[in-house]
Amino acid sequence: MNKNPESPAHSSANHPASDQASNPAGNPNWEEQINALLDGELDNEQAEQLKTAAGQDRALAQAIVDAYQLQQALEAIPLQRAPASLRRKLASIPAEQGKKSHPAFWPKSWVSSWPVSRSGWFRPAWITALAAIPLAVIVLNLWQAAPVEQTAPATAGVTEPTAAELQEAQRELAVVFAYLGKIGRKTSLEIGQTVNSEMQQNINENMIRTLREQMEFNKERNA
Amino acid sequence: MKYGMNISPATVWAALLGLLLSLPVMAQEDALKDLPGYVDFGELQSVYGEPKVMINLGGSILKFVGGMTKDDPETAALLDKLKGVRINVYSIDGQPDAALQKVSQVKSLLQSGSWEPIVQVNEAGEQAQIFIKLSGDVMEGLTVMAVDEEEAVFINIIGQLDPAQLGKVMENFDIDLDANLGLN
Repeated sequence: MNKNPESPAHSSANHPASDQASNPAGNPNWEEQINALLDGELDNEQAEQLKTAAGQDRALAQAIVDAYQLQQALEAIPLQRAPASLRRKLASIPAEQGKKSHPAFWPKSWVSSWPVSRSGWFRPAWITALAAIPLAVIVLNLWQAAPVEQTAPATAGVTEPTAAELQEAQRELAVVFAYLGKIGRKTSLEIGQTVNSEMQQNINENMIRTLREQMEFNKERNA
Repeated sequence: MKYGMNISPATVWAALLGLLLSLPVMAQEDALKDLPGYVDFGELQSVYGEPKVMINLGGSILKFVGGMTKDDPETAALLDKLKGVRINVYSIDGQPDAALQKVSQVKSLLQSGSWEPIVQVNEAGEQAQIFIKLSGDVMEGLTVMAVDEEEAVFINIIGQLDPAQLGKVMENFDIDLDANLGLN
């Protein structure tokens, strides 16, 4: 994990003495803080301090994201692309149950004061799902955008993605293609119904054929 | 710290993380904006919240992924020519109006930008639009927008595309979204 001793929050004298996540010197141990955050063991004040520090320290924010992604990976739950089915399941969790078994990501104290009854939007599970979805995806972009010292060896100023990053990118690409196929199947069905033709082949083929025909048409037109 | 009645610490935390983490994505997207196949889908977050799927792959990572598939030259060739792959998927929970309006806006934008419509499905509460951007005989971009009662999907593939290659590669990458995610 990255630690930035220059971070203003890192040297804050206001850190609670009773903070179990602090090291004996009185400075926050970010790794422990992050772990505590993910385990839901930070109280409001501690979480607020970490949040403030993360706002001022990109490396810390990165570390939080990395840790969160690691936690997700360890749990083998591909939350990064939570589909509608997961969201529906989460959204259907009764508010009371949400209070009892809140996601580990959120400190218990937050959940107990969550305004669950006001709006489904504020349900912890819902928030967690939403927050989780872009995290892993965005982390990849973070890694692409800037060298990350702990994961990607930099050579001659060029950062090569790690095998894990490449696999993630491959998976993301597969998701994009899957959506393309899904839409293609749907449009094929709709078009087939509309024109009453024999368009019952796999939509991928149909869409591709249509694209090719359009290109051929365009070629002839240009000629 | 005290919060307003409707703002919990968790909400603040989520907002902060969202802000911090969206910056690199925006930077990634900025790098693609000047390409002819790029399409600005605008934003729907104010209506539907964060996208449930947000993928933004640049040309460099696509080349690396292509390099992984040495035993599949077609995939490698396709990915080598791509400069960007973007997808935003929003859960709309039976409220497609804003998404349909966005599709209409983007459609006008595409038509004024010399994109050619390939497929257009217009049904009550459901739309699918597929556009391609051609430069001579070369396809420089593919845009797919689809809205149904559950979700709004916006896909933009930037770079040279060979439809035949795309079809084969899609087969190779073929996955069942729900089954693959192990959630159904």
